[in-house]
Amino acid sequence: MMQTIAGQYYYPKSSKSECAQLVISEDSVSLLLEEQSGVVTSGADIQWRATIPGVALEADFIDGGKFIATDRHERLHQRRSRLETFEKNMPLIVASVFLVPFLMWFILAVAMPKLAEESVAFIPQSVPNQMGEQSFKIIEELFLSPSELDVEKQEAVKAQWKSALTQLSLPTEHFKLHVYDSEYFGPNAFALPNGTVVITDDLINKLDGNPDAILAVLLHEIGHVELKHSLRIVAQSISNTLAIAVVFGDVEGMGEAILGTGSSLILNAFSRDMESEADDYALAKLVMLGKSPTAFSDAMKVFLALKSEHEQGDLLKYLSSHPEIKERIKKAEEFGL
Amino acid sequence: MDITDTQEQTQNIEPTPPMTREASVNFSGDAQEFFGIWIVNLLLTIVTFGIYSAWAKVRTQQYFYGNTSIEGHAFSYLAQPLQILKGRILAVILFAVYSLTLQFAPLVGIGIFIVMLFLIPWILNQSLRFNLRMSSYRNVRFSFKGNYGDAFVYWILLPIASIFTMYLMMPWAMKKGDEYVYNNISYGDKALETKIDTGQYYETILWIFLVCIGLMFGVVAIAFILGGMGSLMDFQNTDSSGMGVGIIVSIVTGVFYVFSISILSAIYRARIRNHILNNSEFDGLATFKSKVEVTPFAILMFTNIVALIFTAGLAYPWMKVRTARFLAQATTVVINNDSDDVLDAMSESQSAFGEEAAEVFDIDIALT
Repeated sequence: MMQTIAGQYYYPKSSKSECAQLVISEDSVSLLLEEQSGVVTSGADIQWRATIPGVALEADFIDGGKFIATDRHERLHQRRSRLETFEKNMPLIVASVFLVPFLMWFILAVAMPKLAEESVAFIPQSVPNQMGEQSFKIIEELFLSPSELDVEKQEAVKAQWKSALTQLSLPTEHFKLHVYDSEYFGPNAFALPNGTVVITDDLINKLDGNPDAILAVLLHEIGHVELKHSLRIVAQSISNTLAIAVVFGDVEGMGEAILGTGSSLILNAFSRDMESEADDYALAKLVMLGKSPTAFSDAMKVFLALKSEHEQGDLLKYLSSHPEIKERIKKAEEFGL
Repeated sequence: MDITDTQEQTQNIEPTPPMTREASVNFSGDAQEFFGIWIVNLLLTIVTFGIYSAWAKVRTQQYFYGNTSIEGHAFSYLAQPLQILKGRILAVILFAVYSLTLQFAPLVGIGIFIVMLFLIPWILNQSLRFNLRMSSYRNVRFSFKGNYGDAFVYWILLPIASIFTMYLMMPWAMKKGDEYVYNNISYGDKALETKIDTGQYYETILWIFLVCIGLMFGVVAIAFILGGMGSLMDFQNTDSSGMGVGIIVSIVTGVFYVFSISILSAIYRARIRNHILNNSEFDGLATFKSKVEVTPFAILMFTNIVALIFTAGLAYPWMKVRTARFLAQATTVVINNDSDDVLDAMSESQSAFGEEAAEVFDIDIALT
C-alpha cells in the first residue's frame, strides 16, 4: 500500500523550504522534491512525531531536515496513534467530563485527608515541637503583647488548667498555657502543635465568672494538639497544592483562581471536620471532669454574640473554616442526652 | 562619461519592488477539538498519578504551536515528554522541601526563602532558555542567551529596590525586565532587538491608576443603589430579606471584581504587548505590528472568566483557543524580502528542570 502526502520540506538547519511529496511504502519513504526528485530513505532514518488531533503530520529526517504535511487532518495509513483516537473518542470525552471532577474530588477530599491522617502517626514528636516553638516565636513577636489582667485572674485560669491536666492524666510538662493581650486575635484561644496553648485577655474577660466555659475552650484547644490537627492540615494542604499543580499544570490567569477556590473550599471542609473533632474531644473531657457540657455552649454563645453582626447564611457556610456556631451550641446542649 | 552614466542609470530605474511583505499570524485551533485533547489528557494524568502530565503538556503545546502559522508555515514544539517529566519530578521535590520547611520549621523557612530569591533568576532563565530552544519555525529554532547576573538585577534587585521608592520605580523596573527578556532572544542566527520606552510604562500605569479611581466611583454608586434596594426590601418583609440582599450584594461585588480585573489587565497587557512588538526587530529579517485594542481585549477576558465560572472550569479549552486566536489576529509580521535564509544556530540539549520548576512555583513568564 503506497501513500502520498503533500507538504513542505525544510532543509537541515535552515529556513529554506520547498513544496514536496512524501511517498510512503511498506519498507521505504521517498521524498519527492521539485528540483531533485526521489530522495529515498529507509524507514529508520525518519522519525514521525506523535500525532495530535488537528495538528499536521510532522517528520524529522536523520540529517536534520523536516517535513510538515499541508492537510492538518491527513494521517499515515500504516500507523495510527492510540492516544489520538482516545482524544477524538466521543464516549471517552463525555465520560471524562464526569470522571475528572469526580476523581479530583475523591483525591482531594477523601484520599488525601486519609493519607494525611495515617502519615502523621509516623512523624517524630520532635517535628511538631520544633514547628510549635518556631511559630510561637514569630506569632509572639508579631501579634501578642504581655497580659494586662490581674495576676490573680491569670493564676486562677492556670490553676484550673493544671488540675484539669492532672485529672485527665495529660503530661503537664507538655502542655503550657500562656495568657496574652492581643489586638490582632481579639477574644480567642489557639493551640500550637508542641502543646503551647494561648488564651487572650479579651476572651478571659468575656467569660469572666464562668471558669468552666474557659476550661471548655482550653479543652477544645488541647483536642487540636492531641489529635495532631496542625500536622494533618499541613500535610493535606501541601499534598493538595502538589496534586493540583501536577494534574492541571500551567493553568493561566483566572483558571488558577477557580482551582484555588475549589481547593480552599475542600480545605475549609477539612478544617470544619477537625473543629468538630476538637469539640467532641472537649465535650467528652468535660464530662470526664464531672462538668456540664453546657459549659462549652456557654463559651460558644460568646462567639455567637460577637458574630451576630454579620450573620452567616446557608450558602456562606461552605466558605467558613469553622462549623456554624449554632450547630456547635446545639451539639453541646444535646451531648450525652 | 561618468556623469552621463549615472544619469542613464537613474532614468532607467524601474519602480522598485516593495522591500518588505506583510504576513498575518494565523491560528487554526478549534475549541471543540482541543476540548477532547484537554479532558482526555486530564483523565490520563489522574489515573497515572500525574506521570502522564508530561505527555499532556507536550501535546497541548504541540496543538497550539502546530495551529499557529505565518505564511502557511506552522510552528513546532520540540520538547520530549521525558525531559518534561524529569523537570517535573525535580520541581515537585523542590516544592515539597520548600513548603515542608516553611511549615515545620518557620525560622529555617525564612532562610530557605532567601535561598529561593537567589534561585529564582536561575530557574526563570532556564525556563526561558528551554522554552525558546524547544520552539521552532521553518525548522529553525529560537534561543535565549540571558545570564544569571542580569536576571538577578532585573527580576530581584530592581523590584525590591522599587518597594523602597514607594513603587515609583516599579514601571521602570518592569521595562528593564522586559528589555532583558526580549533583547536576549534570537531566531536562528538573527538576534531580536527591542527598543522600548520607559515613558510608555509610566503612561500605562497612570492609565491603570486613573481607571482605578473611576472604578472606585463605580463601587460607591453600586453601594448606593444596593443600599436603597436593601432598605426597600426591609420595609416590605422584615425577616427573610436579609439573606436575599446578602446574595445580591455578593453577586454584584463578584461581577464588579471580575469586570475590574479584566479592564485593568487588558490595559496593561494590550498596551505593553503592542509597544514591545511594534519596537522589536529580528536583525534585518522581520519586524512586527501588534494592534491589540483595550476594549475588545477586556471584553474577551471578562467573558472568559464568566464562562469559566458558569461551566466550573470546563470552558477552559474554549478560553485558551479564542484568546490565542484573538492575539494572532492582532499581530502582523513584516518580513524583509531581501533577507537570506535563516540558519539554525544550535544543536546541544539541556535539562528541562528550570522550565518545570518555574511552573510549580507559579512564576512562569508568559511571552504573549
